[in-house]
Amino acid sequence: MSCKKYSFLFLVTSLAVIFHGCDVFSSGDEDVGAAFSEQEINSGGATTVYDAGTNAFSRPAPNLSDAALEKHNAGDAEFEASFVTAPAEVNGGLGPLFNNSNCSSCHVNDGRGKPFFDDGSISSVLVRISLNGDEPGDPIPVDGFGLQIQNKAVYSKVPEADVEAIYDYITEQLDDGTEVELRDPTYQVLNPYKPIPSNANTSVRTAPPVFGLGLLEAIPEQQIMANADPNDTDDDGISGKANYVMNDSTNQRELGRFGWKANQPTVIQQVARAYQQDMGVTTPYYPHDNDYGYPEAEDGLDDDPELSQQILEQTTFYVQTLGVPAKRNAENPIVKQGRELFQQAGCQSCHTPQFTTSTNTDIDALAGQTIFPYTDLLLHDMGEGLADHRSDFKASGREWRTPPLWGIGLVEVVNGHQSFLHDGRAQSILEAILWHGGEAQKSKEFVKQLSENERKALVKFVKSI
Amino acid sequence: MNRLNKLLVFPALLMLAVAGCSDNGTGADELNFDASPMLENESNNIILQTYVNLDTEAGLLVDAVNELQQNTTQQNLEAARQQWRNTRKPWENSESFLFGPVASEGIDPAIDDWPVNKTDLDNVLASNDELTKEYVDGLETGLKGFHTIEYLLFGESNDKAIDDFTNREFDYLTSASASLKGETAKLVAAWNPEEGNYVNAIVSAGSSSQIYPSKKSAVEELINGMEVIADEVANGKIADPLSQQDPTLVESQFSFNSKVDFQNNIRSIMHIYTGNYKDSSGPGISDFVTELDADLDSRFRAEMDAAITAIDNIPGNFRDAITENPDDVENAQEAVRTILSTIQEDIKPLLNEL
Repeated sequence: MSCKKYSFLFLVTSLAVIFHGCDVFSSGDEDVGAAFSEQEINSGGATTVYDAGTNAFSRPAPNLSDAALEKHNAGDAEFEASFVTAPAEVNGGLGPLFNNSNCSSCHVNDGRGKPFFDDGSISSVLVRISLNGDEPGDPIPVDGFGLQIQNKAVYSKVPEADVEAIYDYITEQLDDGTEVELRDPTYQVLNPYKPIPSNANTSVRTAPPVFGLGLLEAIPEQQIMANADPNDTDDDGISGKANYVMNDSTNQRELGRFGWKANQPTVIQQVARAYQQDMGVTTPYYPHDNDYGYPEAEDGLDDDPELSQQILEQTTFYVQTLGVPAKRNAENPIVKQGRELFQQAGCQSCHTPQFTTSTNTDIDALAGQTIFPYTDLLLHDMGEGLADHRSDFKASGREWRTPPLWGIGLVEVVNGHQSFLHDGRAQSILEAILWHGGEAQKSKEFVKQLSENERKALVKFVKSI
Repeated sequence: MNRLNKLLVFPALLMLAVAGCSDNGTGADELNFDASPMLENESNNIILQTYVNLDTEAGLLVDAVNELQQNTTQQNLEAARQQWRNTRKPWENSESFLFGPVASEGIDPAIDDWPVNKTDLDNVLASNDELTKEYVDGLETGLKGFHTIEYLLFGESNDKAIDDFTNREFDYLTSASASLKGETAKLVAAWNPEEGNYVNAIVSAGSSSQIYPSKKSAVEELINGMEVIADEVANGKIADPLSQQDPTLVESQFSFNSKVDFQNNIRSIMHIYTGNYKDSSGPGISDFVTELDADLDSRFRAEMDAAITAIDNIPGNFRDAITENPDDVENAQEAVRTILSTIQEDIKPLLNEL
């Protein structure tokens, strides 16, 4: 990236802000909230992209150098690559056990997976499984299943099990009498190839969007820890606990940042894990197939690692350097009102709006960016309704990592659904809010007493992030 | 698929700057012309109609492979192969609008995944499993769709003889074709106003649409779709096998249909751009481009024609040409890149002048 290009970029973004300052409403509507700053509109700093359509999550950060863009594009092709059963001329190494055969089948358009297709078949659902260790403690693999149930297998092998969701519906009544139906799932693990131990804990996951991960990785640890309050010493009802998880390349405990329970410390480990666990593709990072304790599933091939370190790094680089979509509707007074309500509800206690990334990062484009992910990357007790009763390192069975909110309003155009939370049970932003409990109970109660227009304003703000 | 160039962002930023009082992060919310007739035409007469044609051709493919199974003649084999090509055409014509249900319902991978999982295909063929449409529906995407059918019909190098077919292969072909037809029917249903009505997501943009908050956002989506496939043809479908000199990376390599695929992708851009498809004509992107910059309209049309010609000028079949005639392949690639840069640098920014 040359200095010249940088100057151009900043000139234009400044212009954008100048013009954004004008008031769209000539009808005399009163603005109830402060204007959004240039920084807030450019949610990903200089990595921000301006596309509010299907490809909103799929654009490379515009500030990549030519060489970085080339690496990103190579990673893009790898992210799209479908794997097939080895031996194969191209993309061999699928399975023998797997959940899906490529990254983009779960992270469609680099976005959020929905649990099931309209015809009821699994789209983007997988089941984590483990035994209780010390509570909370490191997840202990289940013999014959490992830490994840693979519901598919290459032709000659038997999948570990299948999963089915049964949805009950519970009604949440808001203070103004409005009733909201919440989809309450029960999951059944069906047809296991051998009995699952009765003391095994399971937890269902859907795929989160993959943009912006490099920026989250580049947030200095001390910034994250500044928000941590595991014992709630400030007595605000909000804890914020760091997960400390194993970095399998260094065998050291590190701050967990990724995954629904912050159980992965780095993007590369998350990607390598997905290759190995989700697709059954081995890399130098995880050179063994995912047939833990299931010798009948072994492929008997001496072909590990099936993917080179170079490809692993390209795919990692790809997700690290996807651009972050700009905020939408920043000038809309209802959105501004919604932000006021978001703050009054205390949402930002966990959905921390702003961070600045380290100036010392491996990827130049990610350095020193002021970003608005709306997450603190910490664990919070979310109450019994969302509890999975499965610990994951320091995360208890009631704790979840605050997920980023950026781009959440684009999920419908990018992915054709509004399935939110770790297992996609919520089918709207409001439903997702109403699932909040535990530390977020007070915030939820605040939302429940809002008028219909106020609720709409809050949701409109969240969708603008 | 989404190999999108950073160049795009600069015009987009400019858009923000000139858009003025914006209700949308991508610029002014509404257009100063009525885009409704264009959105009606694009969604009903081009997108939905392309899917209807795809579904019709897929039905004829089912018929053709059934006929081949009944009467295993060379003539019927050629007819089935031709029908595969006929079915392939509307699919490639649909790749400038790979948004909506085709992606979110997993239909694209079920129809067009690649590579073929040859190891498992051999395993299935060697098994005693009963081969039915439902059986193939349940298989992984590497075991169904266009390229699995192509591999079975054409062999490794477009040279499979009628005597090379086994009964199991005929069973697989009929089941996989029926499964493909099921997917194309899903696409039609998803867009059809009588059923899933995704047409309405486009047509009602800016009013009741849950997907497109403004008409401009729907028009942008159409232009982005053109951009995505131009990028994919130039920087993926052509670039990957060319840069790695690897014929195994070539799309539709078994049937030697690659060049036709690429041309039909360019025609897909033409359909959306012009608003014309087969015998139907109506308002398209071209209308507002012409109004603002008639020279640009003429130039872009010429560029699309030139790209189709440049692809045609690649001698022989594409998978040999990447090594034997790389200059001709590069010329074609350059011609498609010209389309891409015109979309990114000239057509998209025009949206802000509306």
